[in-house]
Amino acid sequence: MNRVIGICNLHDGPDLGLLTENRPLGAVTFLGRYGLMDFALSNLSNSGIDRINILVEKNVRAVRAHVREGQTWINNTKTGYLRLFFNEKTIANPRFNTDISNLLANRSFFEDETGDFILITNPFMLASVDFRPFIDAHIASGAEASVIYKHVITADTDYLNCGTLSIEKDGLVSKISNNAGMKKAVDVSLGTYVFNRETFEKILRMSREVSLLYGLRKMLRYCIDEKLLKLNAWEFTGFVAPMLNLSDYINHSLELLTYSLRSKLFLDDWPIYTVTHNTPPALYGPDADVKNCFIANGCIIKGKVRNSIISRDVIIEEGTSVDNSIIFTKSVVGKGIKVNYVLADKSVKILQCHEVNGQKDEFLFIEQGAHI
Amino acid sequence: MPYKIVAMILAGGKGTRLESLTKKIAKPAVSFAAKYRIIDFPLSNCANSGINNVGVLMQYEALALDSYVSNGEKWGLNGVHSFMATLTPRQTEDSAKWYKGTADAITQNIDFLDAQNPDYVLILSGDHIYKTLYNEMIDLHVSSAADATISVIEVDPSEASRFGIMAVNKNDVITEFQEKPKVPKSNLASMGIYVFTWKTLRSYLKEDEKNDESDHDFGKNIIPTMLATGKKLQAFRFQGYWKDVGTLVSLHQANMDIALDRRELDLFDGDDLTKIYSEDTHSVPQYVGTKGSIKRSIANQGAIILGSVDSCVVSNEVVIEEGAICTRCVIMAGARIKKGTKINNAIVAPDTVVGGKQEINLGKPDVVLVSGGSYK
Repeated sequence: MNRVIGICNLHDGPDLGLLTENRPLGAVTFLGRYGLMDFALSNLSNSGIDRINILVEKNVRAVRAHVREGQTWINNTKTGYLRLFFNEKTIANPRFNTDISNLLANRSFFEDETGDFILITNPFMLASVDFRPFIDAHIASGAEASVIYKHVITADTDYLNCGTLSIEKDGLVSKISNNAGMKKAVDVSLGTYVFNRETFEKILRMSREVSLLYGLRKMLRYCIDEKLLKLNAWEFTGFVAPMLNLSDYINHSLELLTYSLRSKLFLDDWPIYTVTHNTPPALYGPDADVKNCFIANGCIIKGKVRNSIISRDVIIEEGTSVDNSIIFTKSVVGKGIKVNYVLADKSVKILQCHEVNGQKDEFLFIEQGAHI
Repeated sequence: MPYKIVAMILAGGKGTRLESLTKKIAKPAVSFAAKYRIIDFPLSNCANSGINNVGVLMQYEALALDSYVSNGEKWGLNGVHSFMATLTPRQTEDSAKWYKGTADAITQNIDFLDAQNPDYVLILSGDHIYKTLYNEMIDLHVSSAADATISVIEVDPSEASRFGIMAVNKNDVITEFQEKPKVPKSNLASMGIYVFTWKTLRSYLKEDEKNDESDHDFGKNIIPTMLATGKKLQAFRFQGYWKDVGTLVSLHQANMDIALDRRELDLFDGDDLTKIYSEDTHSVPQYVGTKGSIKRSIANQGAIILGSVDSCVVSNEVVIEEGAICTRCVIMAGARIKKGTKINNAIVAPDTVVGGKQEINLGKPDVVLVSGGSYK
């Protein structure tokens, strides 16, 4: 097997508003149980890529707290590893804190690695992707790098500001543009690449001469524009849930309550791994009334819950009704309170009110630890 | 701890009274409370008590249990000062023999214990459900200068004849041991949890080994012999929930105690000092469907509840299909209750498919075991 070095890139991720204020997107809770980066890490792991490097832009603590020693995603704990990289010099200087500067600051670690290919993926295009056929197709193409794309027919409303690809007959990318929502049908880059090693190192070196402000995404556009890179395009036809803004996050979370969609993201032979929190099972009281919900372990559900996602160790008290909401870990909704269209961050206590309402197209966000 | 202690968990028994539930796995590996295995309880209790040197003695169908226990990582027993060993019978230079009794299992591992060189040995059973810290019992053992300390629990006098009964003096020093007595002299039953001073136990095991008449059992042989030869045996009065889940009825009852939130054994108290650790499956979150309902129950991640569930224990990867009605059931991992099935007071074995439009055990007070494919 070809030696592949895996990278999960937490730089340059979308802004999910208050959800990503104090944590990187990759560490945002998803479906009550996961961190968003679990999908990228599990794709690497399930694809047999056992050497995983996470490029951390900021909030190292939150990433460390989520991945711990990394053994959740590692097959052989001696030959494999999961490491975190961040650039201490630029972490306080966001404009210079690019994925490339991070890689260069930690260059010595990569120089020691044997490996023919570098695979870079990200936590915001949620999908179950087997990277093995992608790598095989890359090798067969003879290109210097390859990118995964999805053909999208709703690009006028979805995947806005994502990179779109102009793909020539030979499968190579001739242009990378921005999706401004002008067309319905486009080929959207999923931001997952495989590079021949020497190509990757060449792009990193070149970036210092082009612009210190350029991250990988901008460097790739530059290379394509200047015809410096043979970039092959590989189509992914499976289900993708892009997490590009807060409403993507809310909508995709809730739509996955529908089995037909959920079964496209969670495939039988493609487990999504996450860390254990040693929680007990969920407990349902005598008056529990739950329909169309994800309930995570450790919850105590005594009231009514509809069309909602309830994370670990949440308490829903008697006489309470929670509708169309996403409640994060360790939150409490007290007795007799009505909650509708609410996104409650971690450890929120809703105790001193009768009703908390957002709206369908504008959820009420309650910040971490808030008491209401 | 100023002294060294090793816990030895007896997990080798066949567990025949659990019928086909233990057909291919040892009783300590049987599922409990939707997420756990029975052996999670003594192992977590050890970890929480700061006892990080543990031997697990296995014999019957050790494969699943051994791979579950593994290196002890699930209970944190793989740390730098920790030591976890699975101890199955082994061929030695002199012989190859099975464990003949609870005491013989320890005797055959004297070399293991000698290598650890503990001051005290804690003997536990792998099939009890309880949450405790052993420290108080060990402290009593040390402060009372006992040779052995036996954990006892008060039982109803009418039931005392089912247990090994300890008669004690006013200082709770054991004066007499009665194995399943017709006329019990007290209501203090042995829980099969012992602390021994290792040097003393070692010499008694060596003597017992030579005795062909002996059953090589702690309750039947070692304890009575120690008592008869004037050793000091201290009783430790255990407070709280403790259940031997050796039968289908007791296993079902203990599961119901959790599902019905009786909080005698509280898994939901959030107390990090007495948390029970277990395996975490890589399951999707549990899902309750638009027509599903669940109350008075516990359910683990990966469960899909599309039917009606009342007073049940629902393990990971269980599917309750739409229209199925489950009451007072313990449904183990991977089982599927098909559409139209009504099932009551049952234990459903792992991976069992319970076929549609059947009525199983409705209105009946006795627990049934449903196992092995479709219910017959």
